[in-house]
Amino acid sequence: MICDFLKTCCADPMKFLGDWFVLLPTIVLLLAAAASVVMRNLIHAALCLTLSFIALGIVFIALGAEFVGFVQLLVYVGAVAMVIVFAILLTRPDQLSKSGSAFSGLGPAGGAAVGFVALVALLGFIFTSPLAKKPLPAPVSAPVADIGQALMGDYVVALIAIGVLLTAALVGAAVIAMEDKQP
Amino acid sequence: MTLQILLAISAILFAFGLAATLSRSNAIMILIGIELMLGAANLNFVAFWRFSENPSDLAGILFAIFSIAVAAAEAAVGLAIIILVHRRIKSVEADDASNLKG
Repeated sequence: MICDFLKTCCADPMKFLGDWFVLLPTIVLLLAAAASVVMRNLIHAALCLTLSFIALGIVFIALGAEFVGFVQLLVYVGAVAMVIVFAILLTRPDQLSKSGSAFSGLGPAGGAAVGFVALVALLGFIFTSPLAKKPLPAPVSAPVADIGQALMGDYVVALIAIGVLLTAALVGAAVIAMEDKQP
Repeated sequence: MTLQILLAISAILFAFGLAATLSRSNAIMILIGIELMLGAANLNFVAFWRFSENPSDLAGILFAIFSIAVAAAEAAVGLAIIILVHRRIKSVEADDASNLKG
């Protein structure tokens, strides 16, 4: 019986797991995001953020957008998370904070309240919209060749603009973070 | 599985990011909140593409890719500014950086 169970599971994991193939990583995503928001320790927060990026990439792959999923894993998990960890290590505070609190601005209650109000407003729109009640269409895929054709065709101006933006941003970041030579 | 579930997940993720951005005092935590909100936007792009009538139109995918590139540029510049501020005032707390002429 267990053999049959494993056989059906391995033969067609998409069918066997169904919606859970998408829903399981979203649960991990939300838990990791919540943990990264409430953690006091910055390194722990950054590692939870990395876990949520990984889960988000898996959600993209499960939805059929493999290219976006792998770009997400490469750019966020590979680059952004590492840069955040480096920034935390370079700016290690000598003492936690002058006020001794990890919160400022609206404070934890205010931040949670604003987040909750925004969430209720968004969910109100989402659950009353007729558009959102659509069932899942048949599995689709976005071949990388088609994405490349689109990038070189209709979206070539946007691609060049993104290239210029990335170059300017990275050169600007290097200039900003450079040591001041003059006293 | 409907579009509603994915949009609701994305809304929850956005709310987490918004709460972190508005309430945390450390500038790096503010940046982490912004990254979470951008992730929620990307999830929306991909979800709308997945549920679209015409999935061969790749606009949703391409918007998600461009948004990831913009987020990477934003993270690089933001962290460079944080490192510069830390060098000037020896703190990364947003409340301590209150002087424009630093």
